[in-house]
Amino acid sequence: MAPKRKGAREEGEYKMLKIIELKDNFIRFEIDGITPGIANSLRRTLINDIPKLAIENVVFHHGEIRDKDGNVYDSSLPLFDEMIASRLGLIPLKTDLKLNFRDECSCGGTGCDLCTVTYSINKLGPGDVYSSDIMPVNRPDLTPTDPMIPIVKLKKDQAILVTCEAILGRGKEHAKWQVTSGVSYKYHRTFTINKSEFNKWTYYKEKCPKSVVSETDDQIVFSDDTPCRFLSQLFEEDHVKIDEDDTRFIFKFETDGSLKAIDVLDYAIKRLEDRFNTLMESLSD
Amino acid sequence: MVPVQRGRNHTGESMIIPVRCFSCGRVIASDYIKFVEESKRIRNETGHEPTGAEKSEILDNLGIERYCCRRMILSNADLIDEIISY
Repeated sequence: MAPKRKGAREEGEYKMLKIIELKDNFIRFEIDGITPGIANSLRRTLINDIPKLAIENVVFHHGEIRDKDGNVYDSSLPLFDEMIASRLGLIPLKTDLKLNFRDECSCGGTGCDLCTVTYSINKLGPGDVYSSDIMPVNRPDLTPTDPMIPIVKLKKDQAILVTCEAILGRGKEHAKWQVTSGVSYKYHRTFTINKSEFNKWTYYKEKCPKSVVSETDDQIVFSDDTPCRFLSQLFEEDHVKIDEDDTRFIFKFETDGSLKAIDVLDYAIKRLEDRFNTLMESLSD
Repeated sequence: MVPVQRGRNHTGESMIIPVRCFSCGRVIASDYIKFVEESKRIRNETGHEPTGAEKSEILDNLGIERYCCRRMILSNADLIDEIISY
């Protein structure tokens, strides 16, 4: 049996997850009672194992484009088609996780409404083409999350006419399917101060009142779980005892809007559990 | 008069602001437009180029925390207007 780690929990003891801060696209949470290995696997799952919708196939119309009045526009654009296709792919789209992956879909990979979302862009110059010009065809609810992303500029007598197909994918395949950014974690850290040795504790208590963990007559404990920029000065001070607990992890990440942060976390934990179960099953056979 | 920046930009992709930050994947293209507008406002109000502190404040207000995303915006040179005529 492996030696018991410092602060390690008994086997089967409940792992605690506490959400510290939650917005639509941002989350900061704490997990108690895990090892650094599990924390890192959760981080990697959050980065590259969450499914998301992104434009995969783009078909450009080449040749003359005519408007209603019969004016002729040129379909050649200031950027290369490949570059526009790449930019279209990177635009975050609202995602419905009920969609199927294309290779697992009942249509057998040819593309149907259950696994593919079609978009079209039709814009006449002069002017900028923004992500709000991407029109969903078969799923009107799955629009781009950010309407102000510039795609390309058109000058007079230029026009763009493209149709795109978006499919689900995971971040490990291409960065356009990466839902989260800035995924990071740190140990839960405490700054213990004996009031008699260090009189400046009142300054820190005043500046960071939310960071006080506990206070007794002769001792005060701060924690930087929620960042407070004054607390970093404590690293420089003498008579401050800094403790890190390598079983308590403070995570934070943001999403690009295609999924809500809380849904991403929910999916990541289930996905990790599934993968661990698959591993255990294959080992026991 | 604002000096015209020439040459390929520092971020590698030429002409137009990249959609996402190269390092972390945050969408920065839409924030770049807001950054340019805000810089223009400062230029009109004060009559000088935005200082480093003012640029830093704009980026903070846009919620761009990490320096990988900040450099995407600060070091971009938009050249599509020069190339569009060819």
